[in-house]
Order: sequence, then structure tokens, then C-alpha cells
Amino acid sequence: MTITEPAPFTTEPLSDDRLHQLVSALRPVLDDDQILLAKTDRYNRARVPAPFPVHRWSERVPDVVVMPRTTEQVAAVVRIANDLRIPVVPRDGGTGLTDGAVPMRRGIVVDVKKMNQIHELDLVNRTVTVGTGISMLKLNERLAQHGLFYPDDPASYPCSLVGGRIGTSGWSLIGSRYGHTRDLVLSFDHVLPTGEVLHVGDGIGGKISKSSSGYQLKHLFMGHQGTLGIATKATLKLFPKPEAELSPFWAFDNYENAHACTGALARAGVATFAGAVLFDEHKVAYLRRDDEAYIPQPADVRALVCSVMYGYEDEVRAGGKRLFRIAKEHGARYLGDEISEGDWAARHDRYATPLHGRTKDGQVIPMSWHCEDAAVNFSNVPAVSRAWHKILADLRRKTDVFDDWGMFAYTSAATGVDYLTEIDVGIWEQRLDDAAWAAWVQAKREIAAVALAHGGSMSACHGSCREGEVDLLPQELGKGFDVMLDVKRALDPNNIMNPGKYLLDRAYGRDTTDEGR
Amino acid sequence: MRDVDQEQDPGPAATAPYRFADQHTPPAAQRVSEVARTTFEHVYEVDPRLMEVHVLQQVFPNWDTLRIMRSRQDHLEWMHHHFAEKVVTGSELLAEVERESAPTPPPL
Repeated sequence: MTITEPAPFTTEPLSDDRLHQLVSALRPVLDDDQILLAKTDRYNRARVPAPFPVHRWSERVPDVVVMPRTTEQVAAVVRIANDLRIPVVPRDGGTGLTDGAVPMRRGIVVDVKKMNQIHELDLVNRTVTVGTGISMLKLNERLAQHGLFYPDDPASYPCSLVGGRIGTSGWSLIGSRYGHTRDLVLSFDHVLPTGEVLHVGDGIGGKISKSSSGYQLKHLFMGHQGTLGIATKATLKLFPKPEAELSPFWAFDNYENAHACTGALARAGVATFAGAVLFDEHKVAYLRRDDEAYIPQPADVRALVCSVMYGYEDEVRAGGKRLFRIAKEHGARYLGDEISEGDWAARHDRYATPLHGRTKDGQVIPMSWHCEDAAVNFSNVPAVSRAWHKILADLRRKTDVFDDWGMFAYTSAATGVDYLTEIDVGIWEQRLDDAAWAAWVQAKREIAAVALAHGGSMSACHGSCREGEVDLLPQELGKGFDVMLDVKRALDPNNIMNPGKYLLDRAYGRDTTDEGR
Repeated sequence: MRDVDQEQDPGPAATAPYRFADQHTPPAAQRVSEVARTTFEHVYEVDPRLMEVHVLQQVFPNWDTLRIMRSRQDHLEWMHHHFAEKVVTGSELLAEVERESAPTPPPL
């Protein structure tokens, strides 16, 4: 790759002349404090939580960061980018695990955090319309004053933003009760790659939750990882703030019983059931090593299950007793109130957890957390778990850079049909050299292949556009991948919107799959 | 290290007077597993023998150790209240389930 490449394909910074041209074009649209050029401002927007070799961070630094306040300003910035053929990358909380917010071809990062207003609260129809730069935590603080609640609950709950949840089509911990982001977002304003503004929802959009009018476009503009534009203002469905929460954790002396119990809890049809989580033997071993709640647990605790319920207290008590009976039938041992309540409360905020791993001889090393996810049917969770741990074991035999931190399987839906299955991996980033990175990318590819081989999807939550798994996207989608390319080319004729993701360069006759490897 | 069964020190209250020497003298550690130990009640540490090569163990004054531990409890309580008005206690439901499933004594 050289600087003679057309802008959307080069990874080189803009030349001084091009940068001057861009900034001059932005000045009439944005105030000075909305155009950030300082190295710190730009490097801070290159960071995401997914581990990446430190010596390569400088490859992903944007040329300019802008912080618009309105949809009109976003549209104007995108029009300028499209006219000048400069890449533009939306960034919300920057908490994603598949590099959606990473400016792989540099250009302009549009940071939406100044668009964090609550535009309208409709108490009668139970909706709120917000700027997409607001976090769910801050939104819910305001909604609580009215006894209301927006139940989109990722593990990054305090720091991820509504717009990022739309761009990822995120998964929620309590989605089995309330639905996931795609179910909770009714409609939104969306800036297309040409700078035109689209309002998208079911039919007319607005506050309509179900329409059969026309194509169902809302899902197309969710989960695209910023490759089809930027959501700026969204109308969300609201619920009463729950009166009561129950989150029992149970211990098992074997994985098989824990797995069976998880399925039985999910299939029970309890209306207040918001989710169940299965912890496998590797996860329990990891927690017993380093988590204060689990260090004292006896050796016969080999798997765990937690379930969570939200609703009115009388409903939660009745449903909770039913779940306790089911757990008892499967040989569960209740872990006690302190662990049950404390561990569940901590699940809303996993990004704040300081982490460390171990070398093979047990010495503590600083590690970053990463997790690979997939959507897997209940019956296939054990086989996928075994295969994934084998991949991690092979990796760890080669190097101490990687540590297997075990697996969770979370219900995705009230009926228990499929599970967000994730393997947590500690990565020693200071030692993540090119060889270790290549081994990790290969492991990611193998992890994704296992999910597909078992009839699953490569991702239930994060997206699948990072190196490794993205190679298998055409395999997963089949003819659907060709449709993706057609849609991309139709909506983004100049490939300026978040280029380099999801193999979409192929829509423009370029195969850059191995770029940067 | 002491035996694990001994009572542990919950630590001075947050309002206790500050004494430098006291602050830098944690209670004797108790081993709780092959790789972990406790100093104050509910305060767990990695066994220092496992933090000698790549990451060295830091010395915290007692007030800071206890502040971190108590802040975490505050955070968890805040999070419960943020998501629901109250928490239903599992042990209470379990007791009801056990009571209801116990065999009914024969009539006298």
C-alpha cells in the first residue's frame, strides 16, 4: 500500500495540503472547539478495548476528530468527507470488541458525545427521544425520576452509548425479558454516506413499534459497524422501572447438570425471567484463582448458573420460587445472598474490572481482557465449549501471552433457543508481537469456524468485522454477503464510510483482506 | 501467616484517627487458597510469592485498602438501586421452597 492509492484505500495520514483543505472546509460548519487536531485528542480516539499490538497503534490514528452537536452538523461533515473522498468513522463509547470505531484508513472520526440531549420524553406513549451520544446509565438516571427504565444492559452499561448500540445492534444481559437493542430502538435519524438524512424505523418510523409498510429497513441500519452511516437521534421504547430484582447463583459439581439446569430455567416460561448464565469449569477455576467471591468456594464447585428476574415484587417472588424448585431438581446448591447479589450487580460494569493473568508457572502478569462471542443453540453449547477450550489450550502451549479465562453462555431469548456463548481470554499486550498477533488472529478464525460448524453465528453481540473471524463472513452469509456488497456500493458510492471493515472493499473491486497482516 | 479459622479484623472505621505506623502495618495475613490470602475481612490478595517477577506487589496504607473494598460495596448497592427499587433475597425464597416441599406430618 502506498500513498498513491485513492484515499479510501490508503492507510497513510493525509498530506498537509489535504489536511488544510479538509479543515478549511469544516470551519464554516463547526466551531473551533468542535474540530480537534491535537495528537492527544486523535490518539485517544484510536483506542478501543480489544487488544491490539502496541507497536501498531499509530497505524490507526485519525487525521481529524470532530464533535458535532446536531444531525445537520453530522450531515455537513459527511458531505464534506464524501466530496473530498476522505474516510469518516463514527465513534460513540468506543467500547466495541470488533474494532467498529477504529479508523483503519484514518480520516475523520465523528465523536458523537456532544449529542447527548434528551429531546422528548413522552410519558403517555412511553417513549424517549435522545441524541445518540447519551449513555444508558445517564438516561436511566433521568428516567428514574418518572419511574421509567430503558433496559438495554450490556457489560459496558456505564460507558457505551445509544448510538454505538445501534451501530452494533447490541445484545443485552436482560434481553430475555425486554429484548435487545433492535427491539428497544423504535426509530432513528441516520446520516447516509452521501450526507443525506434518513429517518428509519418500522414504516413511517417515529413511535411506531410494528408496521408492515414497505421494506423493513431498520435492521439494515443497525449492526453495520458504522459502514452505512451515523445514527444521530433515536426514539426508544420505555418500561416501568422494576420494583424488584432477584439474581440467585447456584453451584453444581458437574458441567452437565449445570447446562441442563440452564436450559430448564430458560424453558420454564416465567414471565419475569430476564436471563440465565452458565459458567463452565474453566470459568470457575479462573474465578477461584482470582475473584474474592469465589476463592473460598470448595473444590466440588465445578460449574455455576445464575438467573435473574425483574418485575413487580409479587411476580418476582412467585417466579423465583419456581426457578428455585427447578434448580433443586437439577442438583443445584444455592451460593448465598452475598455472592448472588454482588456478582449480578457487578455484571453491568465489566469494563471497570482491573485484570491480571498468570504465566504457566503461576506468576502474575498484567493482562487485558478480550472475549470472543458467538450465537449457539442450547444443544450445541457443550460441544462448542470443548472445541474453543482446545483452541485456547493449543495457543497457550505456545506462549504465555494468552490465558484461558473460561466461558459463559447467556440466554439470548426467553425460550432458551440460543445463547450468547463467549470465551474470555487474557492477553499480555506488552508481549503481543507480530508472531503472537498472527497466532491470535488464526485462533479467532478457528473459534469462528467452530461456531459455524455447529450451526451458530460468529457473533451474537460484538459483530464480526475484526481480523480473523471476518474472513468467514462470506461463508456465514452465503449469497447474503453479495447483497451486502451491493447495498454498500449503492449507499456509499465512494467507500468513505468506515472503509476497511467487513471485507466491503470487495464492493469496489478491491480485495484488501490481508491488508496490514 | 495465621490459621484460616481465626477471626479477622474488619479494620478501623473510616473516621478513626490517622496514625502513620498503624496505617502501614496490615493485620497478619491468613492463607485462604493455594494462591490467595486475606488481610482484613473480605480483603483478598494474591500470594506475594506469585508477584515477584513481572508485577511487584504494591504496599497500600490500610485506609486505602479499606476505602477500595468499601467503595466497591457502595458501587454494588448503587447498581442494585439503579436497576430496581428493591432486591428480593434468594435465601428467603429458598426457605419457602424447602418449607413447602417438606413432608407434611401425619395428622395427630
